[in-house]
Amino acid sequence: MNARKEGWIYVGPATLFLFLVMLVPLAYVAYTSVTNAGGDFSLASYHRLFSSDLFKRTLGTTFQISILASLCSLALGYPIALHLARQTPRMRAIYMVLVLVPFWTSILVKSYAFTVLLGRAGLVNQLLSFVSGSTVQLPMLFNRFGVMVGMTNYLIPFIVFPVLASLLAIDKSLYRASEIMGAKPPRIFFRITLPLSLPGVAAGVLSTTVMSMGFFVIPALLGGRQDVMMSNLVDFYTRETMDWNMASAIGVILLGIVTLAAILADQAKRFGSRPGVPA
Amino acid sequence: MSSPIPTNHGRRKFLQTTGAAAASAAIGLPMLATPRRASAAEKLVVVSWGGNYRTAVEEALVRPFEKEFGVAVTLVDTPDLAKVKAQVMTKNVEWDVFDAVGPMAMTGSKAGYWETLDPALFDRNDLVAPMTKEAVPFYGFTGGIFWDAKKFPEGKAPQTFADYFDVTKFPGKRTLRNRASETLEIALLADGVAPDKMYPLDVPRAFKALERIKPHIAKWVDQTPQTTSLVETGEVDYSYTYATRAKASQESGKPTQFSFKQNLIGLEYLVVLKGAPNKANAMKYVQFALRPDRQAALMDLHGNTPASKKARALMKPGVSKWLSDPQNKNNLLSNDAWWADHYDELTLKFKEWVLS
Repeated sequence: MNARKEGWIYVGPATLFLFLVMLVPLAYVAYTSVTNAGGDFSLASYHRLFSSDLFKRTLGTTFQISILASLCSLALGYPIALHLARQTPRMRAIYMVLVLVPFWTSILVKSYAFTVLLGRAGLVNQLLSFVSGSTVQLPMLFNRFGVMVGMTNYLIPFIVFPVLASLLAIDKSLYRASEIMGAKPPRIFFRITLPLSLPGVAAGVLSTTVMSMGFFVIPALLGGRQDVMMSNLVDFYTRETMDWNMASAIGVILLGIVTLAAILADQAKRFGSRPGVPA
Repeated sequence: MSSPIPTNHGRRKFLQTTGAAAASAAIGLPMLATPRRASAAEKLVVVSWGGNYRTAVEEALVRPFEKEFGVAVTLVDTPDLAKVKAQVMTKNVEWDVFDAVGPMAMTGSKAGYWETLDPALFDRNDLVAPMTKEAVPFYGFTGGIFWDAKKFPEGKAPQTFADYFDVTKFPGKRTLRNRASETLEIALLADGVAPDKMYPLDVPRAFKALERIKPHIAKWVDQTPQTTSLVETGEVDYSYTYATRAKASQESGKPTQFSFKQNLIGLEYLVVLKGAPNKANAMKYVQFALRPDRQAALMDLHGNTPASKKARALMKPGVSKWLSDPQNKNNLLSNDAWWADHYDELTLKFKEWVLS
């Protein structure tokens, strides 16, 4: 009993704080989504959303962008984590700064920086023009490519950290044993490193996908007319048409999707970590 | 904590209330801790647009107002109608005077967010456009075509909206605003509708004209600064922007050019929030902002067209070249009253069209 009381002293303030700043507003958003402008109960917002082409297209775009950005980040982030795992702790700390500096930089600043790099007359095109000797004007800004570059850049650290944690947790004697048994590096990677790092990969991919679902600044600054995501739509209904019932309904749907994804991922992880040593 | 009684009362009430009320009370709680007598001092909160716009408002309106009336003015950035809605809805109004573009002011009027203005406060014959029950015109802003003069010498860039939509004569990438108001009017002007026959808008015709230009629009601009920066960085060839932004671009040494051959003139309004805590001061401030001398001082800095006709004569001669020509028959004055009735419906239609 005493210990229980003490426990409340530790978690009580945070619980109360979260209740006030998160659960109460969230309940209000859910409530707003099932009322109409007059405040009566109504499912009109959901009905309107599911019959709206704008919403359906945005939902599709959100999924496409989130999953693709997450996979791109994995493709680029995994080798970084692998490289970091092979360093001595001292060198790893130094290299880690290179991952952390962009991670700490404001997303707004980075997005504006990308407009300088990716523009029609931007640094990348200038470099390509210089190398090829003719005027190159690749369209890299205000389209899906720009969004991918911006989002991947933002998400890579969120892949590197969990994957690195999994890689460092692998027992070093496994590598030694496999070398003694005559395994070549590719075989070691595919039979030991990769399978044992999968929990980190799953955690990384899941968190980046879920995070991407709520992106706002990057599609707004680097995307084109086809790259509107759900949060841009929430912004549109909140600030432009001032239809908060619609905005709330989108918020609730987004929350539902993300919750569902988290539950599924949890199940998958449990299934994946069943007892049994890889052969 | 110097007044424990209201704080305790606030806390008890706070625990009793539910849902939204609890959330708004949580935001309001720090306010309860300040002593009552602090509110006896003369105060006013004005919302303005930030950046060099804000500096100009500070210099031409806020400081002289503080001196003349002994009122401490707080300037807050970015007028946001959603925040007004939240303040009026939760009866937790913190802003007094609000600086609103036409459709914003009219939408707010329809929703009942503004106090009624006493017409006796203003010289109505001096105003360039009529005031409404709740909003008084503050100035006119001039939209038009903007390009890089180094890339396109005299006569090689589009200067009217018909030119802007003529992609064979003027090939290249362009911008338009990601909003229905302004864009639909531009499309109709480009399609040959006379400015005096513009309203009510022929919406299907506007969309048909926009369909023509859609493949050539590199960016549907949301952030106003991009209207000029995209041209300056060579991302697009021509852009739709405002005379004030073009002025700032040229003054920072960029070789850019803005066309006054055809302009779209929008109105900015001043309004007072319903239930404003310093309503009397707010009314004094709005009246002060419309005084010809203050209008001239502010427009000298902004480069916008003053709402007071008398102010025009008081302005610095160098600035007047940035004002739209009232004699130009090609120019269109946006009809905000028409937009008030169609804003929501057309905004949605426009956004869906852009995405498709």
